[in-house]
Amino acid sequence: MSSIFGVFGKSPFEPLVNHARKVHECVKMVRPIADALLACDMDRLNELQHDMSKTEHEADLLKDQVRHSLPHRYFLPVDREDVARFLAQMDRIADDAQDFAIVATFRCVSLPKDLHDDFLALVDKVVQVSESLLSLAEKLAQLQRESFVGPDAEDVLRRIQEVAHMEWESDRLSRKFARRLFTTPDIAPVIIILLDKLCSALGGIANHAENVGKNLRLMILRK
Amino acid sequence: MIAAALLATNTLLVIAVVIGFYKAWNIGANDVANSMGTVVGSGVLTLRQAICLASVFEFLGAILVGSHVTETIKGGIVSLDLFADQPMVFGLGMLSVALATAIWLNIATAMSHPVSVTQSTVGGIIGFAMVCAIGGTACVQWRQLGLVVLTWMISPALGGLGAYLMYRAIVRWVLKSADPLQKAKHAVPLGVAVTVSILFLSATYKGLPRITIDLPLHQLLGMTLVLALVLYVAARWVIAVRTRKAPTVGGDAYAAVEKWFGSLQVLTACYMAFAHGANDVSSAIGPLAGSMQAFRGQDLSLEVPASPWLLAFGGIGIVLGLSTYGYKVIATVGKKITEITPTRGFSAAFATATTVLVCSKLGLPISTTLTSVGAILGVGLARGFASLDLRIVREIFTSWIITVPISGFFTAVIYWIFLALCGV
Repeated sequence: MSSIFGVFGKSPFEPLVNHARKVHECVKMVRPIADALLACDMDRLNELQHDMSKTEHEADLLKDQVRHSLPHRYFLPVDREDVARFLAQMDRIADDAQDFAIVATFRCVSLPKDLHDDFLALVDKVVQVSESLLSLAEKLAQLQRESFVGPDAEDVLRRIQEVAHMEWESDRLSRKFARRLFTTPDIAPVIIILLDKLCSALGGIANHAENVGKNLRLMILRK
Repeated sequence: MIAAALLATNTLLVIAVVIGFYKAWNIGANDVANSMGTVVGSGVLTLRQAICLASVFEFLGAILVGSHVTETIKGGIVSLDLFADQPMVFGLGMLSVALATAIWLNIATAMSHPVSVTQSTVGGIIGFAMVCAIGGTACVQWRQLGLVVLTWMISPALGGLGAYLMYRAIVRWVLKSADPLQKAKHAVPLGVAVTVSILFLSATYKGLPRITIDLPLHQLLGMTLVLALVLYVAARWVIAVRTRKAPTVGGDAYAAVEKWFGSLQVLTACYMAFAHGANDVSSAIGPLAGSMQAFRGQDLSLEVPASPWLLAFGGIGIVLGLSTYGYKVIATVGKKITEITPTRGFSAAFATATTVLVCSKLGLPISTTLTSVGAILGVGLARGFASLDLRIVREIFTSWIITVPISGFFTAVIYWIFLALCGV
């Protein structure tokens, strides 16, 4: 028996959505890690870092699944380069989240109480950026079914703008925290270096999330 | 001596009939999924309902429109005049074509390679013409054959273009609009009216003599226009009644649009079955008609139109094929084709069926399968599908390049065996 329906190839869109969900699982762990870090709970930090590696590895496996649908033999409704870039940026979000988890296990951080809130506000904002990005990325499979047009596509395009705006807000919070960190007296230099590393990991998450949004826009608009 | 000859002739006739039936069975068994797969896969119809509808429309297509293509297969590719003195040669040749293509079809199916029954039949006829003692290459009507081969290339392209434009139109006017559901309420009745009109026109205009009334074109066009208007208004009314309560809002709009197009899908599936029956019945009964004419000693140079009985015979063969085996094919592919949503299914099926039906009316034996693949690619180009496997597409498109010479070769071999057996 043979039929013409063998012409349908592997869709990259469902695996892309699964990958995005897994990546956000990594980012969601950043807040508990920050809490444990400020509480100096090293056992908890090691445990969370272990979870993070596991989740990040699972994300890598999902990433390979998407790559299976990217050879040139498949004809896609979006540019395959856009899919590849979308995937790469998503992957870097997970990498930065893992960096954050590892750096957090290096050393106990004792920070003046009034700096805690600034740091946690930054962490929450970054998680929020990732969350709103996920809510868009999750629409990808649905958007494909709707041929990337119509009210849903319009809605996603509008909300990509919101992700970019939230990234800018997270940048502002990051600068504000850095200013206070460097101007507060009596903080050990090693702690400052550690926190600076953590902040650049957070900044990376927000940045890559914004880039994923830009790629999503290209996917919707191109062709 | 005469009794022996009569017996031999009758035996040959029986063989021709059996092989013709086998091919019709095969056409029904393998190709029914192309028309009914999506409707069953999406749950619009049950398997049983789909089989019943496919049976009715394949049969109608075969009997109402099938004669044009059958005549081309029987007498359009080789010059019948050259065989006027030796009808038995032609009869044996057509028998060889039938047998060889049936064998090739079986081998290809066993290797799960999609091949076109039509193309294999045409290849067989060419093979026979090349080796028969009369004329050789000279008895092939190259001009007609060239036209047939040309349409093999043009029909997938036409199917693709039609499907592309149709899907783009649906995207542009329905899906992209601020209120897709409102637009679908106009688009779906339009689809109903157009589909039924084409079906009506193709079945009545220059249809089978004695069965359909032979009215002049302008009268038929008038009737078709009235029919279309009535259908459009009726469909609008049905939709209006059904959507009177609970207006759909927001994200559900797309699902609602697909649902409305889903009801259209039943119609286009019937349209596909009709077109398929019209074009493909010829490859089963074309060679059969030729050999019957020869064995009965009828004058070959007379253009005897394919008899309604023979067309009905082919139609029944197709129906038996789809009801005894076709359901298996539908069941296996049905699950895999969630990709084809009603809007996409309508675009692809409408373009395919229209292309196939026009070619059938012109008496051109084309491949329904290749046209369908062309149409799927067309929808893909309009961003309709998540992923299309171009390697499989290439395999399907190149299969006819192999099919034509192989069935030609098989036919030649079988023809020689027949000659040896008959002691000529």
